Amino acid sequence: MNNPTICRCEDVTLRQLEDCLAAGGTEVSLREVKLQTRAGMGICQGRTCLPLLAALVDSTGRGLPQDAGLVRNQPVRPLVLADLARFASNGGGEATRCSG
Amino acid sequence: MGIKTADAVVIGAGVIGSSIAFRLAEQGRKVVLVEKAGPGAGASGSCDKAIFLQSKRPGIHMELALASRRMYDTLEAELEADLELKNDGGMVAIETPEHLDFMRDFVRKQRDAGIAVELLDGNEARRRQPCLSPHVLGASFSPDDAEVNPLALNTALFRAAARHGAQTMTHCEVTGIRASAGRVTAVETRRGSISTPLVINAAGPFAGQVGQLAGVHVPVKPRRGTILISEAVEPMVNGSMLCAQYIAAKHLAAVGSGNVPPYGIGLSLGQTESGNLLIGGSREFAGFEKASGPDVMAAIAGHAIRIVPALAKIRIIRSMTGFRPYTGDGLPIIDRAPELGGYVIAAGHEGDGIALAPITGILVRDLVDGKTGPFLHALTVNRFAVPIPA
Repeated sequence: MNNPTICRCEDVTLRQLEDCLAAGGTEVSLREVKLQTRAGMGICQGRTCLPLLAALVDSTGRGLPQDAGLVRNQPVRPLVLADLARFASNGGGEATRCSG
Repeated sequence: MGIKTADAVVIGAGVIGSSIAFRLAEQGRKVVLVEKAGPGAGASGSCDKAIFLQSKRPGIHMELALASRRMYDTLEAELEADLELKNDGGMVAIETPEHLDFMRDFVRKQRDAGIAVELLDGNEARRRQPCLSPHVLGASFSPDDAEVNPLALNTALFRAAARHGAQTMTHCEVTGIRASAGRVTAVETRRGSISTPLVINAAGPFAGQVGQLAGVHVPVKPRRGTILISEAVEPMVNGSMLCAQYIAAKHLAAVGSGNVPPYGIGLSLGQTESGNLLIGGSREFAGFEKASGPDVMAAIAGHAIRIVPALAKIRIIRSMTGFRPYTGDGLPIIDRAPELGGYVIAAGHEGDGIALAPITGILVRDLVDGKTGPFLHALTVNRFAVPIPA
């Protein structure tokens, strides 16, 4: 277990994340790590791995003082495209409540 | 901290700014690349993966895209990175007789311009792209369209710039530009001042704001776009796909009467190496308001399902909304600002940032070296003598 999987949705390992962070630079945001490694980009939208990612970034001492985290865009939960398309005829206002 | 000095300060570490920083650093220039957030945090991290040639307008737009496309052939070696570049062609699906007429004319002009593109009938199109709906009348197809992973591209350009000696300052906002006797002297940032005779505004949709810091007018405005992203699925899309409505929306062409979808909707469809589908997209003017709301997503979904019915059962796991830097004529601005010496504008690529990133780095390098040519002539800022159309 010297290279555990951190993001299970996208199969991103600890070593891949460490390599990304080793690329150097100054402060690093969680979104940056996501864009470069795909960690947090999968079906759970980082709900599982976010605390681990945050701890990893913090351990480098390069975390942002106030990181916005990983912004979760709609849909909040996975949604079949046909259901999403149906909101068009129902009126958009309903969609937010129905999307869960 | 001390006072930093640089030969050039590039503002913005998206694909455009990173490409410029790479090319200038490669020459041995002392470059500082300053970025408000992380690399690719803006448009470059919220876009699809297609390098379309056949969506470009014949003429300078097309020639620019072709020249940039050729640079991709050697870019992976130059950047020492896997960009997931695939030469797997692209098609534009045509649904209505009006669009068929429009595309027939568009394809003829493209062929005259030397692009390998052909018009397929409905059955030929479905043979190449089995997921297309039976009602699709035909499609244009070009084997020269390609795909790249924009996130990998941005990271590779950014790291290559650093490898060639560019200093990168991320999460560091530019707060001011200092000038003396009509020339740039320094860039002020949240982490101190950088003394420099040259600043390059590569801030994409924010280029107007970065221009204002120096009293430079940059006629770029944000054009919002949303893309839906599916769970990883088995391969179902060959290459990249657009619809004729997308081409019409992109070039603001009025095709047919009525029936124009809301929010500037047009299909863009591609599949990542991981299996996720990228399903776009919209084109709206809404300032920098990020929340586009479920109406836009629903409209994108409905439009996509009509053209590719198998999408109906696929789950969407997230969406991206970003801002394309819009100039009004579909071309970027790559020019020296007339108001201020030492201030270069390289912004306004709208939806072509990925396609044009390689050539933009080269053109800015040429501009800084005092060279000129037909591309730079066509991309001046003073071509917008009148306000850009809304």
